[in-house]
Amino acid sequence: MPAAAARIHEVPDDLLAAIDYCYDQGWTDGLPVVPPQVDRVHAMLAADDRPAETVIAKHPATGLELSLHAAAVNAVMAGCLPAYFPVLVAAFEAMDREPFNFHGSTASTGGSAPLVLVSGPIADEIGMNAGVNLFGPGNRPNATIGRATRLILRNVFQMLPGISDKSTQGNPGKYSLCIAERTRGNPWPPLCQEQGYAAGVSSVTVYAAGGFCNVENHGGNTPEQVLGSVADAMANYGCITLGQSVVILAPEHLQIVAGAGWTRRQAQEFLFTHAKRSVEGMKDVGKFRDREYDAQHGEGAHALAEQGFLHRGLNPDDILITLGGGDAGGHSCFLPSWSRGRGSIMQHAAIRQKK
Amino acid sequence: MQLYAPTSTTATKKRTRAPKLAKLDGARIGILENGKLNAEEMLNEVAQLFVQRHGCTIVKLASKKNASAPAPANTLTQVAPEVDFLITGLGD
Repeated sequence: MPAAAARIHEVPDDLLAAIDYCYDQGWTDGLPVVPPQVDRVHAMLAADDRPAETVIAKHPATGLELSLHAAAVNAVMAGCLPAYFPVLVAAFEAMDREPFNFHGSTASTGGSAPLVLVSGPIADEIGMNAGVNLFGPGNRPNATIGRATRLILRNVFQMLPGISDKSTQGNPGKYSLCIAERTRGNPWPPLCQEQGYAAGVSSVTVYAAGGFCNVENHGGNTPEQVLGSVADAMANYGCITLGQSVVILAPEHLQIVAGAGWTRRQAQEFLFTHAKRSVEGMKDVGKFRDREYDAQHGEGAHALAEQGFLHRGLNPDDILITLGGGDAGGHSCFLPSWSRGRGSIMQHAAIRQKK
Repeated sequence: MQLYAPTSTTATKKRTRAPKLAKLDGARIGILENGKLNAEEMLNEVAQLFVQRHGCTIVKLASKKNASAPAPANTLTQVAPEVDFLITGLGD
């Protein structure tokens, strides 16, 4: 069945009235939006060379589709500039892949938010923040790309709080959760390179983040001490599951780890080995499940999975680690994932920039 | 000022509800469990009430592996001809 034409709403030429109109239509995340004026939407669409009706994502249950046009409308509303649009488009192309399960991760009581992690030269080109106050406010592309992601989930896919979004508590990242990987002072290859993209091609990684856990360690000065505190955060009883992990190491912490010669792979293996809880401990808190243990220790189990312990994730590849944040401070972070049992696996996609 | 609606332009499909069952007595029950920890037990308990009270028969137990994904179409098409009604729900 062909898509209908995008509906146009005629409103008075009064900006404040137009903002109120958007509230009245139920189009906002609770904050004021930029009214999606026709000319601004067309300027946004010019950042992609494909037809406006091109479908970039589809809701698996309702069949609702996200066209470039609808993405552009929401990008305008969130405050994006056209230069940011390729990042938003790539994020939804990645989220549309079945293993990400954006329907489930948005609808679930788990309350996850899609983390949009940008790697590669586009981050600097559009002025993204990879440094100080990384997850905080103050940077337009970070704030508005993350916000546009949420507005699309709400407006296009109708994932409405309390109706089709049943998060028990939600999390603050559901307003916006978009960061850039820090390349300055990063001794490890950028994620886009490790993901196999050609030189000069940027990527976006999407991940259903179930929250944010600050890892403070100002006293540790060896990789084992720094990563030991990260592993402990990953294995706390409230967080530990078979789910994937995202760890953003602060520059002070990565200098200690990489300065001792550790590769990203070594760090992943250390974290997988140490982010664990005993079966007895899991039983004590009522979280032990035979089938999860079997998934980790059955046929094909990773050699680092220790008998009698439940680790976080299935193997070291389940842990994404990179650099982010300001120069000062022993503050890294761990973001747990939404449910692995319901198929939530991080995805990445190339960011297509118009020539 | 002209504003574009930020909603999907997907053409909406007409969906209709199945007709209400004329009676429950002797009906054939299907169970669709969603893979959650207690789903099968809970849904079987519910089905047993229909067995006891209305003489229904449980004829089919179908499973979906992912509680947060739609049931595969072939699961539904296999179950539909064999049952008069289906019981499903969460089982955390």
